[in-house]
Amino acid sequence: MSMITARSSNRFAWFGTERWSVTPGPFKVGAVILLVHVLFAIGGAFWTPHGFAEMGTGLPLSGASWQHPMGLDQIGRDVFSRFMYGAHIVLMLSFAGTILGMVAGTTLGLLSGYIGGWFDEITQRIVEAMISIPFLALALVTIIAAGPALAGEPVLIVFVVGLVYAPRITRIARAAAMEIATREYVAVAELRGEGIWSIVFREILPNAANVLLVEFSLRLSYAPILIGALGFLGFGIRPPTPEWGLMISENRNLLIASPVTVFGPGLGLASLVIGFNLFTDGLSRMLGQRPVPGA
Amino acid sequence: MSIPRLLASRVLFSALTLFLVSILIFLILEALPGDVATRILGRDATAKALAVLRGQLHLDQPALVRYLHWLGDFLRGDLGVSIATGRSIADVLGPRIVNTLLLSLFAFTIYLVLALVPAIIQAVNRGKAVDNVISVITLLLLSLPDFLLATILLFLFAVAVPILPALATISEASTWQEMLRAMVLPAVTLAIMMAVYAIRVLRDSLIEVLRSDYVRLAELKGLRPRAVLFRHALPNAIVPALNVTALNLGFLIGGVVIVERVFSYPGFGTLLIDALQLRDIPLIKATVMISAAVYVGANLVADILAVLLQPRLRTSR
Repeated sequence: MSMITARSSNRFAWFGTERWSVTPGPFKVGAVILLVHVLFAIGGAFWTPHGFAEMGTGLPLSGASWQHPMGLDQIGRDVFSRFMYGAHIVLMLSFAGTILGMVAGTTLGLLSGYIGGWFDEITQRIVEAMISIPFLALALVTIIAAGPALAGEPVLIVFVVGLVYAPRITRIARAAAMEIATREYVAVAELRGEGIWSIVFREILPNAANVLLVEFSLRLSYAPILIGALGFLGFGIRPPTPEWGLMISENRNLLIASPVTVFGPGLGLASLVIGFNLFTDGLSRMLGQRPVPGA
Repeated sequence: MSIPRLLASRVLFSALTLFLVSILIFLILEALPGDVATRILGRDATAKALAVLRGQLHLDQPALVRYLHWLGDFLRGDLGVSIATGRSIADVLGPRIVNTLLLSLFAFTIYLVLALVPAIIQAVNRGKAVDNVISVITLLLLSLPDFLLATILLFLFAVAVPILPALATISEASTWQEMLRAMVLPAVTLAIMMAVYAIRVLRDSLIEVLRSDYVRLAELKGLRPRAVLFRHALPNAIVPALNVTALNLGFLIGGVVIVERVFSYPGFGTLLIDALQLRDIPLIKATVMISAAVYVGANLVADILAVLLQPRLRTSR
């Protein structure tokens, strides 16, 4: 009884110590990894041992040392400083892109699922067509279509991530809305004479929150890989901004001379995605959802 | 719905989807506001170069006319001419597609082993240490970006222990042995990427099937465990994994692009990247259209196979 009152009176007791001890293991490990990444990113945005574009900080390709934990690249830039500065860029791009995709996809999906009929039919066909274009091809084609003026701008990367995610999120949101639309409280709201927007955002959205939260977390896990892949192929953020995928691609020809310049940033990227994946796994178990990898 | 009608409606929907894809690609590449020629050549291009390119792309005609021309030619098998090389796109694409098909076939063979063996081990030993260890490894591999996995394998087997070539540059002059050796690293990378998605699903569905009544019955009949597993459980557990693989094909085509790029393999993926870098719009349109067709086609096949393979779907009508 006391448990129930505590939870209803203070939503934020959710993160209390009692709750922490009963949360699934993967969620905890994931949350800790993500926290470390966020703190590292905040730190890196304000201070790095060397400037991220500063050349000649030491002997190029001299490998890992205490001064240069991730070694030095071809022109003597400190890879660790670049990695540290890049952390907040990777995180911010991932969050911004995923949020854009969530907002667009959720709005369209919930409306489509609730309204149904022709609107739903047309939306679903367009969504289907967008999903049929392999995501990397869609992303790259959009970047090319945006033209040289926008190429390499963070805004474009955020837009592209949102564009790739939106149709996939639309599908999930639509399925959830169709199920919720049959419930009594929606019928009651209709009888009260509420409008479409009011029903979608005040009745359906809160009840689809669990599904959408897991979806958000799942998409967020993949965003650093997508952004990294764009950078790796040379269509991402413009150099010398140290996005991790771009750094891996830049240092790849140093693989024989100084492998740490590739695997340092690689380890950072992989650990971030592992953190997101564990977090998603735990979150979906806590919320009673089952995420499908990929798709 | 009877099975032929079900299949016919699937085929029609796939065709409709591809039609919409063609409109989308055209809209993104050619109908955005602003001059296409300037976007391709950049702002510093001379007026003459712009005029030549506009002529090549027929930019003097309205967008709708250009779209219908392109679609008509495409359906008749005329993919147009590449701007960058001046060669017929069909000639450029043909060998690249063959190369990528060879690579995919090789990767798919490795994938079958990499997906089935761990999933069967997990399902048979569910809840034990082996199960958990394989789960952790799958999660780690699932979190590894494809370009990083490719780079790690390249480092391990071409740099640290140089037993395989780092570059998978094959040509018509290469012998079969050379080609196979060159394809090992890219194929293994692709196979691992595909397998990590399938293992989780296959394990869960296999465990579910092993708990079902007909598997119990088969066990009670006194069949050997191996016969129960391979003859009764596995065929029924494969369908969900098949669907996940088809749904993830979009990611896998992206993976092909990256893996071919890392190992400089002369396939479809490197062609797409080259076309994008050269802003060769006709070639981009053709490659993206074909990759979408592959995705839609594979999902259609997976749908049909699911109907034909799974007794539950076949009889419940």
